[in-house]
Amino acid sequence: MFAKHKFIIVIIIFLFCVLTSSAFAKSEYVLPYPSTMPGSIFYKVSLVKEKVMQYWYFGNFGQFFYNLKQSDKYLVEAKTLFEYNQYLLGFQALQKSNKYFLKTKPYLIKAQSEGKDISENSNMLSDAALKHAEVLTDLEGQLPESFVWTPERDKPTNLNLKKTIEESIKIRERYL
Amino acid sequence: MKKLLILGYLIHLLLFTIFSYFFVDPNLIYLRNIYTGFAFDYRGITTFIYSLFILSFFVFYFLFLKLAGKKLLNQKDLIILVAITIISLFFSYPALVSYDIFNYIATAKVSFYYFENPYLIMPIQFVNDPLLLFMQAANKTALYGPFWILLTSFPFILGVGQFLITLFSFKLLILAFYLLTLYLIYKVSKNTEGLILFALNPLVVFESLVGTHNDIVMMFFAIASLYLFKNKKMLFAAIFLLLSIFIKFATIFLIPVFIYLLIQKINKKEVNWDKVFLLASISMFTIFLLSSFREEIYPWYGIWFLVFIPFIKNNFLKGFYLSLSIGLLLRYIPYMYLGTYFGPTPIFKIILMLIPVFLFLIYKVIKIGINSKIVGKF
Repeated sequence: MFAKHKFIIVIIIFLFCVLTSSAFAKSEYVLPYPSTMPGSIFYKVSLVKEKVMQYWYFGNFGQFFYNLKQSDKYLVEAKTLFEYNQYLLGFQALQKSNKYFLKTKPYLIKAQSEGKDISENSNMLSDAALKHAEVLTDLEGQLPESFVWTPERDKPTNLNLKKTIEESIKIRERYL
Repeated sequence: MKKLLILGYLIHLLLFTIFSYFFVDPNLIYLRNIYTGFAFDYRGITTFIYSLFILSFFVFYFLFLKLAGKKLLNQKDLIILVAITIISLFFSYPALVSYDIFNYIATAKVSFYYFENPYLIMPIQFVNDPLLLFMQAANKTALYGPFWILLTSFPFILGVGQFLITLFSFKLLILAFYLLTLYLIYKVSKNTEGLILFALNPLVVFESLVGTHNDIVMMFFAIASLYLFKNKKMLFAAIFLLLSIFIKFATIFLIPVFIYLLIQKINKKEVNWDKVFLLASISMFTIFLLSSFREEIYPWYGIWFLVFIPFIKNNFLKGFYLSLSIGLLLRYIPYMYLGTYFGPTPIFKIILMLIPVFLFLIYKVIKIGINSKIVGKF
């Protein structure tokens, strides 16, 4: 009888530890709402704005924030497009997100070489990387391994979705 | 008598400069050797001394105005008075009741030392910067216009990375604009008495030469813009108005005045400049009142309308503005005494600000009553 109770207590403790530890692993980093999507007239405007803002965010901290912001934006865009089965556009958005994410850390290193304290921004980057990885892991489970995109009157494109998402996660894990 | 009064004023200014150092912030490491903590440990005495200084500032001010009214104070005397005011107060501690000068320096440092965009990056991002020890708006991005930030590059560079030299370089910048404003007011008004009304007004002197607020810089460009318009240099007038707006945005309220001027110009009508300055002062008084919706009415906002006082012919409005300038300097008393921005402080601030205005209005009503009785008798 006592052994049975002990077993239940152990199970409860085990479940408590497992469940709570998985909750702690979640990043509290907040991603933005999806903005305008390809096809919208405002999307072209947002592309121009993106180019202009690159100069507004001058300085190494500025560039760090700019690239992280763009990476966040394109990740959310990719997620939304994948959910609507717009695989080619989603794939392209994810590649842009990766491109911007890769640029973040070098600016922090430059800032550090200028004597700036980068500890808080490094923590922010780690949080962002964790959040991105969470989103990408979720996506990985929902998407097909690959997809052949056949546009009208054009050559088909083979999109290796699984491989791209795995690479994207690896990029984020580098900055964890 | 006049010489004695000027000497008394000089001693008063020097004593005030010494008094200002009672307020040195405990975290201001650069002035650690002269830190006394007096203003924080003896709030009652400090508030009493401050009130006495404000009273004496206004007593001297009204005596000088009286002398000027009797033509006993000439242009040379005014130059002497302005000179002793700027020299004495240049050495005063600026963060007596407002820490804005530290914000100016921090924004300049973000822009010209760290080379980051001050509209995006807050000073708090530079974790080990010593400015964070004593500045009070480290968690805010730049609050002022781009032209102001550009102007601050001069005192910042002049400071050669030394905090105290930078601090006094910022004071020098404001002092220069205070003098330029006086020069411009005189050039437009050609009136020594009117100039005294502005130049020696305790609020203007305190907020520009002690508190080192950039409002005088913004208003210099606004007055310069009107001056240029008067001299038919329309393009430069527009540029100067824009520069003024890009210092602190408040002079955006002068755009209607410029539209009025343009309409007069297009219709080839004679411009009534007395009316223009009156409109400009009312317009700036409107934004002054509206500022209470944004945060609160800060005493140095009084410079926005006081700068037009030498051009105003209406005695009631002059008296109203002057009484308000007394009230604005009294706004510091509740915090100085209680040491908190909360509790009864906000309501006491309003009451103290309005007391001189009500007294002035009561005085005016009584005067009108007496005058109408005299007229009735005859």
